[in-house]
Amino acid sequence: MSVMTIYHLVAIFLLCIGIFGIAYRRTLIGTVLGIELILNGAGLSIMASAQLTPAPDELGQVGTLLVMGIAAAEATLLLAIFLVVSRRFKNVDAGKLITMRG
Amino acid sequence: MENLEYERLAWAVLFGHIAIIVVGGFMTVLSQSLVRALVGLIMTLLGVAGLFFLMAAPFIALMQILIYVGAVSVLIFFAIMLTSAWPGGDESGKISFRRIIFAGLAAVSPAIFLGMAAIHTAPPSFLVPHETEVSTLGRFFLEDFILPFELISLLLTVAMAGAVVLAFEMRRKK
Repeated sequence: MSVMTIYHLVAIFLLCIGIFGIAYRRTLIGTVLGIELILNGAGLSIMASAQLTPAPDELGQVGTLLVMGIAAAEATLLLAIFLVVSRRFKNVDAGKLITMRG
Repeated sequence: MENLEYERLAWAVLFGHIAIIVVGGFMTVLSQSLVRALVGLIMTLLGVAGLFFLMAAPFIALMQILIYVGAVSVLIFFAIMLTSAWPGGDESGKISFRRIIFAGLAAVSPAIFLGMAAIHTAPPSFLVPHETEVSTLGRFFLEDFILPFELISLLLTVAMAGAVVLAFEMRRKK
């Protein structure tokens, strides 16, 4: 087993535990924590694939930075959406949000 | 002889950070209080930053600490506080057994396929990655990767504007 495989297995662990969190958590914020775990696993996988193989190193580092940027943008928007949702529905329970009109 | 000692140290650092990531990941999904879950997430992010350092990418590791631990975590903390998902509140009820089974299945099924693929199709890899200078990275960003770079700037601007518009709409309704 090469070193890269270890990094990839860690990334797969992050993906799986993120999916578990998304399915298991009840509030929307718990779901976001799972999404952050998945995105971080993606960054780790990209970085390992570029740094530990003959592929150009810059490609992996730039890819990881882009993933981080997307995660930051997504977290900002989700915070605003959660504020609106909690104001209209009085909670952020994913199971209770069943109407689209507030 | 000295090299062997360094290699042992590197393995210890690798598995130490993997242990931090695993513990933090389980804390993130399983703890009842959302604030504790956030602490688990921060633990995982710091562990991943350590792995980036180990892969000879210190710039990305510092960016990870700056962006994720510094900005995104604080943002999520604000979300927890502002939406009154109080600690021990929303997540503390009993969770049905069916839900745990389904969540576990959803998590394990990609693990099997991706894990097999990662183990069987992995190309041979270096043991010691070499470091890229930050100036090379910057040139790569501004010459080869200029379009994604500008697009991510645009995406961030649009996300900020969207967040402000949503928050203002909420204030007007009140």
